[in-house]
Amino acid sequence: MSAEREPRRGGWYLLTGLLIGLTLGLLIAWVISPVQYVDTAPASLRADFKDQYRSMIASAYLATGELGRAQSRLTLLGDADPRQALTLQAQYALSVGDPSGSAYALARLADALLQPLVEGQIPDEIGASPTATTAATGTKTDTSSVTRAPTRRPTGTLTPAATPTPRPTWTPTPTLGAAFVLVAQENVCDVNLSEGLLQVEIQDAAGQPIPGAEVIVTWEGGEEHFFTGLKPELGNGYADFVMKPEVGYSLRLAAGGRPVSNLIAPNCRTSGGDSYYGGVRLLFQQP
Amino acid sequence: MSRWHKFLIMIALGLAAGLVYGWVISPVEYTNTTPDTLRADYRRDYVLMAAEVFHADQNLDQAARRLGMLGSEHPARIAAQALIYAQQDNFPESDLALLQGLATALQTWQPVLRSTYSAGGGSP
Repeated sequence: MSAEREPRRGGWYLLTGLLIGLTLGLLIAWVISPVQYVDTAPASLRADFKDQYRSMIASAYLATGELGRAQSRLTLLGDADPRQALTLQAQYALSVGDPSGSAYALARLADALLQPLVEGQIPDEIGASPTATTAATGTKTDTSSVTRAPTRRPTGTLTPAATPTPRPTWTPTPTLGAAFVLVAQENVCDVNLSEGLLQVEIQDAAGQPIPGAEVIVTWEGGEEHFFTGLKPELGNGYADFVMKPEVGYSLRLAAGGRPVSNLIAPNCRTSGGDSYYGGVRLLFQQP
Repeated sequence: MSRWHKFLIMIALGLAAGLVYGWVISPVEYTNTTPDTLRADYRRDYVLMAAEVFHADQNLDQAARRLGMLGSEHPARIAAQALIYAQQDNFPESDLALLQGLATALQTWQPVLRSTYSAGGGSP
């Protein structure tokens, strides 16, 4: 009887053993002792921690003015477009009231990334491509070779300085110096623009746009703060605000200058005679 | 070789295959890691950033909060560790001075506990 059963069992018991072993192996590898990430790179951080890291980079840039170092640090986050990531984070921070106070720093760094590096501003090497390998011990280690400490990289064209490079001082406001003056104000009738669009441009004494400048708009029962440079496609010194029809607004710059009052969306007409609300354009400049 | 021996060998082979698959071929992916898992040099650079900002604004509370992102250790200890590693890696003097300044300042820093509960109501 048992001799007749033997051939029918065949190799099933071997397959059963293999499956039991496989199950045990996966249980150990995925549940009991999964790969532990102990040396991760900033690129693998959770989104909110990445945002904190990005804010930190921007704040450090604002404190030191070292663009090369900031750029190197941004690459560690693995953003496809670091400048866009900074801009979006600044916009989001402003939309929620900027509780961390980082919007200005983020906008400044986003703007600075538009400028090419000048001689002496060489991106520092903080980390390299974050490729990871898995060790047989079940410990995953980020092996991207940090070639050196985050220090300036000497080259043949640069003469090592005997003394440390002086650091720029902390500038909590976009510009220090003379207050801004309104140099142009015009009503804009353009059907391609949003109705009641209040456009603000802010420039320094040299006519260069100033990003991160705070603009304060008030009206009866309301107040709004917004910043220049968050729509870089329209200019780094540009900011806008949509006015409601028939409401009078007053606008001033946080950096100083006289407020502009009685801003009202003008009545405009299309070529076909249809009526619509136009916008207002203001240009501020340092004298 | 007995049937039991073959059975145990197959279990061992399956175990090995499972471990290779789970640890090497398809390990658990950690895409949302926390800052306390950052590699030492990245942590050190983060502390350096905090030191750069502290040097400019002298806001010790904010610096301590920023270092709190790196773990539950006392910020002074985090800064001190970063300073030691920075010295070992021959950071420039200017960076070492920044780290030293932050580490020293944090030694006397104590977290301020703010109660959000106001007993008795009303404002002073």
